[in-house]
Amino acid sequence: MHIDYQRAVTSSFQGRTGGIILGVVAVTALCGPALVGSPATPSPAVLQPPSAAYPLGTNDFGQDLFAQLVHGARLSLAVALGAGLLTVLTAALIGGAAGLARGWADTVLMRLTDAVLAMPAMVVIIVIAAYFQLGPAGLVLVITLFGWPGTARVVRAQTLTLRNKPHVLAARTFGAPGGYVLYRHILPDLAPILVVGFLQSARRAVFLEAGLAFLGIGDPTIVSWGAMIQGALRFFYLDAWLWWLLPPALAIAATILSFTLLGNILEALLDPRLREVRHA
Amino acid sequence: MRGKLINYLIALLIILTLNFLLPRLMPGDPLQAIHGGEMLVELTPEREAELLRRYALDQPLPRQFANYLGRLAGGDLGRSYYYAVPVSEVIRGALPWTLLLAGSALVLSSVAGILLGIEAGWRRDRPADRALVGLTGLLNGFPDFLIGALLLVVFGAGLAWFPVSGALTPYAGLAGPALAADVARHLALPLTALTLANLAGMFLLTRGAMLGTIRERYVLTARAKGLRDRTIRYRHAGRAAMSPVAARLGVRVGRLMVGLLFIETIFAYPGVGHMLHQALTMRDYPLLQGFFLVIAVTVLAANLLADIIQHRIDPRSGHAY
Repeated sequence: MHIDYQRAVTSSFQGRTGGIILGVVAVTALCGPALVGSPATPSPAVLQPPSAAYPLGTNDFGQDLFAQLVHGARLSLAVALGAGLLTVLTAALIGGAAGLARGWADTVLMRLTDAVLAMPAMVVIIVIAAYFQLGPAGLVLVITLFGWPGTARVVRAQTLTLRNKPHVLAARTFGAPGGYVLYRHILPDLAPILVVGFLQSARRAVFLEAGLAFLGIGDPTIVSWGAMIQGALRFFYLDAWLWWLLPPALAIAATILSFTLLGNILEALLDPRLREVRHA
Repeated sequence: MRGKLINYLIALLIILTLNFLLPRLMPGDPLQAIHGGEMLVELTPEREAELLRRYALDQPLPRQFANYLGRLAGGDLGRSYYYAVPVSEVIRGALPWTLLLAGSALVLSSVAGILLGIEAGWRRDRPADRALVGLTGLLNGFPDFLIGALLLVVFGAGLAWFPVSGALTPYAGLAGPALAADVARHLALPLTALTLANLAGMFLLTRGAMLGTIRERYVLTARAKGLRDRTIRYRHAGRAAMSPVAARLGVRVGRLMVGLLFIETIFAYPGVGHMLHQALTMRDYPLLQGFFLVIAVTVLAANLLADIIQHRIDPRSGHAY
């Protein structure tokens, strides 16, 4: 199935909303840190309410909360991008190999896929990250290690279907080289599945990155949305939660929501059941 | 079905291997990793030799693994460094609270999610459906710990309607109805948070399944027979939509465990999730291994149960692939 991604995103309300939110977060992550001050420098002005100098006030170390919010976007999206790409690459390799090889290699790979799929991936990732006090790069690796099976399964099923499709056989018969067939006929049909897998993994990565920082696991000096929330909760009896807890909470929710919305419209395109509209 | 059983055995083996290897892969002395850092201060040479022998740490790795499995089979989960009691005892203390919290949340979110899902799927793309899908979509974006944190600051601190930590008022000496009321008041916020966190997934799943079943011919037949709308909705379309919903039980229990970890931690609710977090932050490795094992085995069991239910409902699903 060849999908016009731009049209798919811009033609629905869900897609436009998701695209705009993700765009805002991405621009903030790219350009923001150059425009705000340092997020980690302490100052004597502790626990300040919002002011002209500190748009979101300061925390208990006198650090600029707005700068932390902006820098948090970069970390969050970097982990999401890394985990998304690496997971999809792994899933495509394993799922594709299983679908193409068939036989015993397929059986072994799919057994492994189903076994990992039955495990509580999130809990495993959190425990491993805690054991090794993982930083962002380590977190990306562990998310990949336990996050690939879902997509790999779909990739394998699709590869099995595709290898026997008439248009693929026809291209082969006409002497098309393997690389050309892969690029022109197989990849476009696998692409939507891979994009959905990317969005799911990216979403999980945003959640885990924030969640681990929130639990206080990992490097405490790293500025992150989850760490901001953890810090704010220690002062939950003050009014400070309005400008300390709420902004990173909304930022996390909006980022996760944008990945969900973009994933939804693609899944709707992939699932013929959801495509036609019918009233009961 | 037998093929699936093998998958679970492989998964269990991976979990046990992880649980065995992780503390041994830690930098530094494995004795320290297995028995906690401060332990070394009071470690006499005799005690060290006894521990080395007990965990077979002077043996090659496969022998150590066999030793680990043997002790596990005998119910020996080791000793918590922090609480200075056997790990199994700490687990036994935490389980009832988690069963109360997670069980209630699972029931509440399932009932509400299924009812709303059936109603929304039946009214596909009409205003009520669109509103529900929009709301749950928004709720789905809020990770469990955000829902918990927001409930804490608004209802626990701001309005001060409910207690914000623990499962009981300590040393209050309550009994009977007063005790039940106290437990319920402490349960209110974590239960609301956990239910809300799991409601959206259940709703979207049921609604999705309904979209498939309302197009089936037997629904058309039921309509042609002149059955009441509500009968068709629940007895025919809704009932058939339960098969994929039951199949996802394992996934949902897995998600519930993640929610427990965050929400019990926020409200300091003394269940499995809070204790796992305690073990993580205090580096109490025997305790961490014990709770990790309990959670992982629970999720595997839920997955297996879901497969068995699914197999009963629809025997065709027995083929793994």
